[in-house]
Amino acid sequence: MGELPQVVRGFGTTFVTMFKHVNTEQYPEAKDKFPPKPRFHGRHQLNRHPDGLEKCVGCELCAWACPADAIYVEGADNNDIARFSPGERYGRVYQINYLRCIFCGLCIEACPTRALTMTHDFELADNGREKLIFEKADLLAPMLPGMLKPPHAMAPGTTAKDYYEGTVRGATPEQIADAEAQANPEPVVIEGVVFLDSEVTQ
Amino acid sequence: MTATIPVPADSSPPPVDGVSITVDGVPMTVPKGTMIIRAAEQIGVEVPRFCDHPLLDPVAACRMCLVEIEGQGKPQPACAVAASEGMSVKTQRTSEMAELAQRGVMEFLLINHPLDCPVCDKGGECPLQNQAMEHGRSESRFDLEKRHFDKPINLSAQILLDRERCVSCARCTRFSEQIAGDPLIELFERGSKQQVGIAEDRPFDSYFSGNTVQVCPVGALTSSQYRFRSRPFDLVSVPTVCEHCSSGCGLRTDVRRSTVLRRLAWDTPEVNEEWNCDKGRFAFAHAATPEFDTPLVRGDDGILHAATWPEALERVAEGLADARGRSAVLTGGRLTLEDSLAYSKFARAVLGTDDVDFRARPHSTEEADFLASVVAGSGLGVTYDQLENAPVVVLAGLDPEEESPIVFLRLRKAARKRQLPIASIAAWATPGLGKMFGTLLPTAPGAEGEALSALARGGDTLGSDGRRIAALLNEPGAVILVGERLATCTGALSAAAALAHTTGARLAWIPRRAGERGAVEAGLLPGLLPGGRSLADAQSRAEVAAAWGVSVDDLPTKVGREVDAIVEAARAGAYNALVVAGVDPFDTRRPDDVIAALEAVPFLVSIEVRPSAVTEFADVVLPVSTITQRAGTFVDWEGRTRVFGQVFRTSLALTDARVLAMIADELDRPVGRQDVAGMRKEAAALAPSGSGRREVPSVAASSVSASSGQAVVSTWHHLLDEGTLQRGDDDLAATARTAVARVSAATARAAGLTDFVTLSTDAGSLDLPVVVTDMPDGVVWLPTNSHNSNVRRVLGVDHGAIVSLASGGGA
Amino acid sequence: MGLEEKLPSGVLLTSVEKLAGYARKNSLWPATFGLACCAIEMMASGAGRYDLARFGMEVFRASPRQADLMIVAGRVSQKMAPVLRQIYDQMPEPKWVLAMGACASSGGMFNNYAIVQGVDHIVPVDIYLPGCPPRPEMLIDAILKLHDQIQDTKLGSNREREVRELETVALGATPLIDQRGLLR
Repeated sequence: MGELPQVVRGFGTTFVTMFKHVNTEQYPEAKDKFPPKPRFHGRHQLNRHPDGLEKCVGCELCAWACPADAIYVEGADNNDIARFSPGERYGRVYQINYLRCIFCGLCIEACPTRALTMTHDFELADNGREKLIFEKADLLAPMLPGMLKPPHAMAPGTTAKDYYEGTVRGATPEQIADAEAQANPEPVVIEGVVFLDSEVTQ
Repeated sequence: MTATIPVPADSSPPPVDGVSITVDGVPMTVPKGTMIIRAAEQIGVEVPRFCDHPLLDPVAACRMCLVEIEGQGKPQPACAVAASEGMSVKTQRTSEMAELAQRGVMEFLLINHPLDCPVCDKGGECPLQNQAMEHGRSESRFDLEKRHFDKPINLSAQILLDRERCVSCARCTRFSEQIAGDPLIELFERGSKQQVGIAEDRPFDSYFSGNTVQVCPVGALTSSQYRFRSRPFDLVSVPTVCEHCSSGCGLRTDVRRSTVLRRLAWDTPEVNEEWNCDKGRFAFAHAATPEFDTPLVRGDDGILHAATWPEALERVAEGLADARGRSAVLTGGRLTLEDSLAYSKFARAVLGTDDVDFRARPHSTEEADFLASVVAGSGLGVTYDQLENAPVVVLAGLDPEEESPIVFLRLRKAARKRQLPIASIAAWATPGLGKMFGTLLPTAPGAEGEALSALARGGDTLGSDGRRIAALLNEPGAVILVGERLATCTGALSAAAALAHTTGARLAWIPRRAGERGAVEAGLLPGLLPGGRSLADAQSRAEVAAAWGVSVDDLPTKVGREVDAIVEAARAGAYNALVVAGVDPFDTRRPDDVIAALEAVPFLVSIEVRPSAVTEFADVVLPVSTITQRAGTFVDWEGRTRVFGQVFRTSLALTDARVLAMIADELDRPVGRQDVAGMRKEAAALAPSGSGRREVPSVAASSVSASSGQAVVSTWHHLLDEGTLQRGDDDLAATARTAVARVSAATARAAGLTDFVTLSTDAGSLDLPVVVTDMPDGVVWLPTNSHNSNVRRVLGVDHGAIVSLASGGGA
Repeated sequence: MGLEEKLPSGVLLTSVEKLAGYARKNSLWPATFGLACCAIEMMASGAGRYDLARFGMEVFRASPRQADLMIVAGRVSQKMAPVLRQIYDQMPEPKWVLAMGACASSGGMFNNYAIVQGVDHIVPVDIYLPGCPPRPEMLIDAILKLHDQIQDTKLGSNREREVRELETVALGATPLIDQRGLLR
C-alpha cells in the first residue's frame, strides 16, 4: 500500500466510504426513522381526563415556575352551565409563547395534576410572532375514543378525587345523554360572553 | 442574641404600670395587660398564630400560639395570656414543650384542611401554608376521609365561603361583630363540624364584609370579584389612596398585566388602621380603561369626531379666545389637589374669571363662606386620633356609616372601647348610629341649625340627652362633625361654627367626595384663592400672583358666581364659554337647569375620563387619565394630604393639570408645564399664610314645615348606590341596601300610607316601600341616589324640600 | 433589484416567478451570525451528520456580500444590534432573515435591558424558530418552511402590490404598546 501514489490512496478512501454506513440523518425524508429520544422536550400538551374533561385547573404554577415568563394562565369558576374540569376551577386562558419558551420542562414538574406534559412535536417554526403564541385550543390534547367534548358534567357520583385517582375510565352514558340534551341551539352565556354551543369548548 | 436586644437600662425607669417578664431568657418590661405574643414580637420572636389580630379582641381559638410559661404545667396560648410580673415565657425557640405543642396543633389543623392550595386564592400568601412549611410535618399521618362540605357557598353576593378550608379562628366573625358591628356571620356547630354561617334569610350584607376576606388566614373566605382571577405571585402591588370618599384610606392596588385585579386595605394606623369599606375595596371597575382614546371635536354635522391633540387644542383656543372674563369653570368634587390647583389658576390667571365652583351638588352661599372661613387653609384639623379620644362627638347632617365609613369605624371603636358619647342631629336613628351606641337628637330636615343653636344654649329644647351632650361639649377636645348636607339647611353651618366658638369644641367638615377638601384648599370657590386666601384681600392677591408667576392685575377683581348662579347666567347667555370637568349634572339640585345651561352656552369644553351627560353637549372633549393612570394627592377630611403614585406607570394619558397647561400654551398665556411634581411645588408655595381670612358666616337659622299631604324630605346617599364610580360591579351592587321611604307612624296614618308611598314634585314622582320609623312627623326620608330612589334626578329636589305624599300602588 | 423589477405582470411573470423562486430557494447562501449556544447547533446542521448541503447551502459565508440568508443564532445584545444591522444592510437583495432560537426571536428568558427583545426590532424577520437551542432538525425544518416562502415570492409589479398589501396590514396592526397578553 505504501508504494501507491498519494492520488490513488485518496481515491481509495473515497471509494471505501461508498460502502460505509451513511452518517447523515435524512431528516425531512425519513423522519420516522429518527424519532427523538423518549424524554425529548417538544411542544406542550394539555391533557384530558378519560371522559374528556380537562386536567388543567388553572392554578398557574406552571406560569410561576417558568423561568422565561412564557406562560400566561387565567383561572375561572366551573359552574353548572359549563364545566371544563373536575373540581371548582379550570384554566380559562392558557397561552404559551414559544418564542420565549426554552423547553426546560420546569412547568411540567410544577403541574400538580399532570395536565401539562410535553410531546415530541418540534416542527414549530413559523413566520409571525403572533402565530407562535399557542392558545389553549392549540395545546389541548386531541379527543380520544370514549371522550366527550367539554363542557359537560362530571361522571355521576364522582368527585374530583375520583378523577385524580383514575377511577373514571371514560364518558358514561349519562354524561353523553346529558351533553346531547344540552346540544340545543340556545346560546350559552358565560361571564357575559355569548357562545354558541359549538364554540363553548374554549 | 441578648446583645442586640434593647434591655431597659437602669437610667430609664420602666413604664409606670409596667411589668417585668422574661421571654426566651431575655428580660423585658412591658405595659401591664400586654399579651405575651406582643411582648415576644418586641424581641423579634414570632410565635405562630392564626386567630390573633392586634385590632381584634383575643379569643385563643386556633391554639397555634402555645408557649411554655414557667410554673404552669400546660402550654398556654400566647395571644390570650397577659404578661404578669416575674413571668418567664419560653417560646418554640427555647422550649421543646412549646415546639411540640405547636407541631401538634398544626397537625390537627391540617387533618381536615383540604390542601387544595393549587386552586386556592390564598395559595402563595397564606399564613397556614407558610406556617405549615415552618412548623408542620412534611407528611400527614391522617389517612381517613377528611370532612366534606359543599363548596363554595355564598355568604353574600360578593363573599364566598369554603368551609373545608376554615380553621375556625373566628377572625371574620370577630371582625364583623367587634369592628363593623354587623354580626351577620357566626360560628355554628361544634367539633369538626364547626363552621361559619349566616342566618337563612340574612346574607352578609355588611359595608365592611371585604375585610373578612383580607383577615382570613386561610382561603376560606374569597370575594366573587377576585376569585380565581390570579395568583399572588403574579401580582404587582402599588400603594394607593382610595378615590371614593373623603376618609383617605390607604389601599394596596394589585395589578396584573395592565389590569387592576383587587384592592386591599393598606395598614395606615393614623387613618384607616387595617380596614376599608367594600366600596373602596371592590368598586374599581370605573377606572379600568378611559373610554376616550383621543380628543373629540364636534364637527359641522353636530357629531363628535376623533381628533388629534393639536386639532382639539386649536379648537379650544379658538373657542376660549374671546372668553376672557366671560367664562366659567365647573369642576366636580373628585379632582386631586394638583388638578384643583390647576383649575383654580386656569380660571383666574388664564380665563380671568372668578366664576369657578367645585360644588356640583346642592350648595349655598353660607356654605361657601363657611368653607372659606373655617375649613380652607386650616391645615390638619381634627384627626382620627382626636375623634377616638374626644369626650363627645356631635354629628350634624352626617351619617358616617354611609358617607365616611372609616370615621364610622373609628367612632364605633371609641364608643365600644371607652364609651365615647356620640350624638347625631338627624331625622332618625340610622343603623350606623345604633352601632356607635349613639344618641339621636331628633331633628326635622331644615331644623338642624336650630338644634345646633340649642346645644350652644345648653341643650334647652333638646331634652335630657341634649343637655347631657351640651354639657360634654364644653369639655376640652370635644368634636363637632358636620356633613355636606348642612349646606341645604339655612343657618346650620353658621350655628355649627357658633357652637364651636361658644363651647370651644373643635369643628370638622366631612364631605362625601375625595376631592372636595382639596378643592377648598385650592380655592375652587368664588372669592377664594388657594390656601384660604381671599380674592378681595390685596396681600392674598399679591401672594397668589407671585406663586403663579402672573401680574396681580391679571387676577379678576370681581367676586364670581356659585354653581347655581353660573347655571342661571349660562342660560341667560352671560358666557362665551364653559369649562366643565368631572361634573355629573344629576348630582346637582336641578339637573334639568344644568343640562339646559350646557346646551345654551356657545362653547363647552369637557375635560373628562368617560362619556357623560356633559360630553353629550361638549364642543370639544379632552380625555384625561383615570385614577390608576395618574399620580396625585387627595386631602382627606382631616386636612391630611394623602399622596399616591401611578399604578400604571407606562400610561400616556394626561392629567387635568397637563391638559390645562397645554390649553394655556395654545392661548399664549403659558402657565408652565404643570406636571405632578411642579404642581406639588406650587401647592407648597401656596401654603396658607393666614392672610385674607373670610368672616365666619352668621346666617339666622330657619326651618321648613309641611302642610297636610306633604312632607319635608330628608335624604342622604347610601354608601353603595348608583354613583358613577360604582358602575360595573354587580356583585357589590347586590349588597347595597334597598331603598325605602321612612316616615313616622303619625305621618303614615295622616297620609293613609300602607305598603307603598308615591312621592311627587312638579318634576316627577317616586314609588317606594314604606317603613314606619321613629322620627319627627311631617318628614319623609329616602336615599338620594339608590335604585328606584333618585331624588335629585327624578324629583328635582333635595334635603329640606317639600314633596307630596300619597299612597302608592307598589312596584 | 434588477431585470425582474422591470418585467410586466401576467402569465409570463408568473412562470418567471416560479422559476426564480425555484432557483433562489435551492441556492441559499447563509451568512453566519452565530452569537451564542444556538450557533453550535447551527454548525452541527452544516456538518456531515445533518448536512445542509442536501438543500443547496453547503457554504456558510463569512462575507455578507456573498450571502442571502442571515441565520441569527443567539441572543442579540444592544451592543451587537448595530453590527447586525450593518451586516444585514451589506447583504444584497433578495435576502432573508431566520431568527433561530428563543433569544433571537423574542429575547427568550433574557427579558432585560441588555438584550434586544427580538431581532425583529432591528431587521425584518422572515421566519422564527423556537427552541433553546433548537435541534438541527428544527433548523432544517425552519429552512424548509422558508424555502416554501421563497418559492412563493412575487416579482415585479406583483411584488410591488404584495409589498403594498403587507405594508397596509402592518400599519393596521395593533401597536406593541397596546398589545395584551404574552405579546406585551
